[in-house]
Amino acid sequence: MEWLNPYHLQVASFVLINAILGVSIYITLSTGQLSLGNAGFMSIGAYTAALLSTQHHLPIPVGILAGSLLAGVAGVLVGIPSLRLTGVYLAIATLGFGEVLRAVLINWESLTGGAVGVAAIPQMGRVILAWAGDRGFSPESLGLQGNQFISLAVFLILLLSTILSVAFFLRLSRSRVGRAYSAIRLDESAAAAAGIPITYYKVMAFSQGALLSGFAGALFAHSTSFVSPGDFTYHRAVEILVFAVFGGSEHIFGPVFGAAFLTVMPEALRFVSEYRYILYGILLVLMMTFRPQGVIDPPLMRAVRRMRKGRTE
Amino acid sequence: MTTLLSLKGIEKSFGGLAALSGISFDVRPGEIVGVIGPNGAGKTTLFNVITAVFPPTAGEVEFDGERISGLPSHAITRRGVTRTFQNIRLFSAMTVEENVMVGRHCRTGSGVWRGVLGTPGQRREEAGIRRKTAELLDLVGLSGVDREGIAGSLPYGHQRRLEIARALAAEPRLLLLDEPVAGMNDAETQDVFGLIKRVQSLGVTILLIEHDMSLVMKACDRLVVFNFGRKIAEGTPARIRDDPQVIEAYLGAAEGTADA
Repeated sequence: MEWLNPYHLQVASFVLINAILGVSIYITLSTGQLSLGNAGFMSIGAYTAALLSTQHHLPIPVGILAGSLLAGVAGVLVGIPSLRLTGVYLAIATLGFGEVLRAVLINWESLTGGAVGVAAIPQMGRVILAWAGDRGFSPESLGLQGNQFISLAVFLILLLSTILSVAFFLRLSRSRVGRAYSAIRLDESAAAAAGIPITYYKVMAFSQGALLSGFAGALFAHSTSFVSPGDFTYHRAVEILVFAVFGGSEHIFGPVFGAAFLTVMPEALRFVSEYRYILYGILLVLMMTFRPQGVIDPPLMRAVRRMRKGRTE
Repeated sequence: MTTLLSLKGIEKSFGGLAALSGISFDVRPGEIVGVIGPNGAGKTTLFNVITAVFPPTAGEVEFDGERISGLPSHAITRRGVTRTFQNIRLFSAMTVEENVMVGRHCRTGSGVWRGVLGTPGQRREEAGIRRKTAELLDLVGLSGVDREGIAGSLPYGHQRRLEIARALAAEPRLLLLDEPVAGMNDAETQDVFGLIKRVQSLGVTILLIEHDMSLVMKACDRLVVFNFGRKIAEGTPARIRDDPQVIEAYLGAAEGTADA
């Protein structure tokens, strides 16, 4: 069980949180809206969950649920006035929202702890270990050390959360609502003429993206047990966007792949130390030049499906 | 009810330019009414006003006795008015089938949760959408086309038919067709003529913008003629053909009266 070390599991956990963030930007993009506010919505989820568990001692699932829902509500409130904006203007407005929110987190010290952030947030893995320990369970019975068990528990919770999120939106994208989203992205006025209420679905997609970002943020808070405004900067917003740009924004697996690849790559390239960010940059430029739609696009997915069909027949 | 669509004093100006002025006419249930006139006469603008792409500057649109001007586009579609576009506007990255399925949106109701959970009701609804889609593709003569192919790669004539199928998917009572045979050869035009008649026989009223005069004269029960944003004539094809004002609009005035 040597390979199952907390470092690998932590990288895997970040992959999963980033994958959920990638799905969150994909949802808003699937109605043709480019939102860079997801780092901001993530901070709403993270701080809500963190403060509810540290100050009000509420159970972790309650905090995660509340954080996600509050981020979703914030999504509706930001989404409605943003409807008049499209393309780069929407991107700028939502980026501005994220920065304003971060300024609030830094300055509202009595609530948020200011620039220092919130520490000692109950960590999911530790809480589970303590709970199981009270009932006479010992991780050694599985051949695991305590910290291995903690990291593994966090990883499994995140894996389940990611699978549920992806499955939810994959199924949604194949339903009546998903068709409405694509129609809006492809041609808004033709979609309206086909009987689709544009405003309703755009706000809904925006809010779903916000909710999922908040969910990722709440999971993040309870995985790292520490959040600060520095976790939700402009860099985070752009990082989430890059998942979708690199992985592909026209299929849900695109940003999931992008998140996984771009999270693992800098870790895998640690041996070239500082040069790895140069490689990262070169990779992005090459992608823009040779495959601007991202690694995964619908024709690729169709080819994969056809191949699988061919094999089973 | 003897009128299905009633236009009352429609005005539309862009800045200082009057694109439509004082347009009033009625469309009766079951009719095919042609809207003709030279380029720039305001025909497509009229369609855009009826379907709320933009609001009229003045005047009212009534459908089935109720005022629909002021409603958003999707609500007008829901009431039973759908359209096609002069420059085809399919969802070209979607499949042929999906384009028509999108058109069923306002006649179906599964929301987020039912879609994600795949409840029995939702699955029945999806099956119904697919059945109706197959019927419509058949009706417009696309039954031989690969339904899972990308709509944007269909030949031009097929794209026009697919757009009509999408418009019919919303079960309209009034269908607005904006130049359905533009760019088609005689054989294709004949096919579309047959299609328009078939759609009429299903009880759908049709308002048709078209430049192909042989089609217009054959297909339409009545014609409305536009020039410079005004209605200059209205009547049966036979009467319109001999109307001096219409001839003037299309061919120019006879010498001596030109600068009157």
